[in-house]
Amino acid sequence: MDAFYASVEQRDQPELRGKPVAVGGAGMRGVVASASYEARAFGVRSAMPSVTAQRLCPALIFVRSRFDVYREVSQQIRAIFHEYTDLVEPLSLDEAFLDVSENKKGMKSATLIAEEIRRKVKEETQLTASAGVSFNKFLAKVASDINKPDGIKVITPDEALAFLESLPIKKFHGIGKVTAEKMKRMGVFTGKELKALSEIELVTRFGKAGRHYYRIVRADDRRAVNPNRIRKSIGAERTYREDINRIEDMKEKLSYLAGIVFRYMEKSDNYGRTVTLKAKSPDFKVITRSRSFSSEIRDLKLLENITHELILQNREEIPSVRLLGVSISNLSKEIQGEGIQLSFDFGENDEEE
Amino acid sequence: MKFSVSSSELLKQLQIVGGAIASNPVLPILEDFLFSISNNKLSIAATDLETSISTEIEVMSDADGSVAVPAKILLETLKALPQQPITFSINDENFGIEITSAYGKYRLAGEDGKDFPKIPEPDSVDTIKIQAPALTQGITKTLFATSNDELRPAMTGVYFQIDFNKLTLVATDAHKLVKYTFAEVTSEVSTSFIVPKKALTLLRSALPAGDEVNIAFNKANAFFTFGSTNLVCRLIDARYPDYNAVIPVDNPNTLTLQRTDFQNSLKRIAIYANKTTNQVILNIMDGSLTISAQDLDFSNEATEQLACTFEGDPLNIGFNAKFLIEMLGVLEADEVKIELSNPTRAGILLPTEEPDGEEILMLVMPVMLSN
Repeated sequence: MDAFYASVEQRDQPELRGKPVAVGGAGMRGVVASASYEARAFGVRSAMPSVTAQRLCPALIFVRSRFDVYREVSQQIRAIFHEYTDLVEPLSLDEAFLDVSENKKGMKSATLIAEEIRRKVKEETQLTASAGVSFNKFLAKVASDINKPDGIKVITPDEALAFLESLPIKKFHGIGKVTAEKMKRMGVFTGKELKALSEIELVTRFGKAGRHYYRIVRADDRRAVNPNRIRKSIGAERTYREDINRIEDMKEKLSYLAGIVFRYMEKSDNYGRTVTLKAKSPDFKVITRSRSFSSEIRDLKLLENITHELILQNREEIPSVRLLGVSISNLSKEIQGEGIQLSFDFGENDEEE
Repeated sequence: MKFSVSSSELLKQLQIVGGAIASNPVLPILEDFLFSISNNKLSIAATDLETSISTEIEVMSDADGSVAVPAKILLETLKALPQQPITFSINDENFGIEITSAYGKYRLAGEDGKDFPKIPEPDSVDTIKIQAPALTQGITKTLFATSNDELRPAMTGVYFQIDFNKLTLVATDAHKLVKYTFAEVTSEVSTSFIVPKKALTLLRSALPAGDEVNIAFNKANAFFTFGSTNLVCRLIDARYPDYNAVIPVDNPNTLTLQRTDFQNSLKRIAIYANKTTNQVILNIMDGSLTISAQDLDFSNEATEQLACTFEGDPLNIGFNAKFLIEMLGVLEADEVKIELSNPTRAGILLPTEEPDGEEILMLVMPVMLSN
């Protein structure tokens, strides 16, 4: 979807149409979650601090997010996808991979399917979507950004290599800012220079990701569209209006975050063994500290206590925080295609502590 | 204060005692050995406040007294010295230590022995006696099954259950369980307590081949005494899970096979199993056991077939190969019997024969196979 949250707001509030709009908190600590194309013209981007965004675009209108509405739209578009295939791998609320090699309508052309889906999305949601069509996930993802908004890009096998050679590094999906900057220093600006590097050089420089870069620039991406992509972690984090200095306040915030995470675990019946605490200091230093256990954490009080211990143990390093986060990984449902190690039932849960 | 001692004799004792020292102690003095001299006897102690070991050797000394000696530097010095008599001189004012060897002098800073934490004394204790080799066996057969899970402290130790002249040791991590009973115990009480893993690891390496071990215990601590060595540990203050409740009594399917053949086969198959789950599948039919594993991430797979005796209904059941290999490793019989119920219930592993007065039972939970 194009500028998803912002477009939904412009759809539902006609007075916002044609104006620079940002969805997110306007306050000192707010972050832009989504920016309308009018705002993007001023350089406003998602994940940008609201203060910066406002400076770039003084006329910027901030709108509160309405996730229930976005979720509803998300379900509408997913229902459309499933008219064509069940091989749908959602990337986020407004984005998904579809494998249409075999599709429910027996259509031969992926491009025609993409056009049909875009038309239906517009009819049903009054929102525009962009599509990328190609023969693997990486290329489809890259293609989907090329003719945004309200566009489509097809990359055929014949064109793929030439396309990738001319593609600027920062447009490679999966190569972030930091890596792109590193590559720049190595004289790598486009796919052409990237392709000139050997696999060994890339791995030495970028570790495991280097291998991935080596492959994608050769249009080699064998990842299948996975409709049940397994969640690897469950987390919640908050940036606070004011820095938190008192340990009691940190504990209280952590208990709140632990509660969110725990309720999600309960709902999905997917409990984890590793707890990670994330904290960001007022000068943006981020620390993450984890602790793993051999059994899943199935008690909220316990989860709270673990997060409290983690913050206490790292108090010296980070005496004041602007952001706190709690996440759980090593989830019981993570290991796909493998069985689940069963445990003795000692009836402990019935005992009084 | 001054005393002389054989370097190799001292090193031997320090290496036993030094096991108690934590790698990252909470107090600097816990990085030290406590040396106390009284009547030409040097007593050496170390502690991490949970587990303490002390022992005694004969020395030639000119006075009584005590000093805390930095453990690491002393151990390194002694390891680097060929066997010879060495002399310690301790400055009674500032606890500076000077060691004299045939090659020269080494100085290190000590601390007042009075600042060393007090090691618990056995008061209001009950006592049992047991042969050292039997205790060593008991520890070896159970320790591996304990858990590292801080969330369930009871399972991080071995449960000692004393029933007059019978001692039962139990260990479990909630996935596997060992229950080992032996009768060579002299006791007049019936009680139970949980001994932490670290204490038992130290005890196993310190226990002599012969000798009798005296185990004294009260609510808080256990005291293991053998020869001139004492090991004191704080007991785990938690309720041990009701392990008897999880031992199945009517597993109808019985598989009997050669222990080492089975173990070796599992070792080979496990190489091909997923590295995080170590999942292997046992497909059991009359007369033949098929063991297989696969690792979807790497397209690795392996299958082997073994001869066995099987009574019951054909069964497909998954296990963590690592558990089975460890369990088979501590059994000694040529043949083992595995009693199974269904793919989601605990399996029992037993030797087909065992020495008089000994009884071992192992349990393992399966891996529930997907699809």
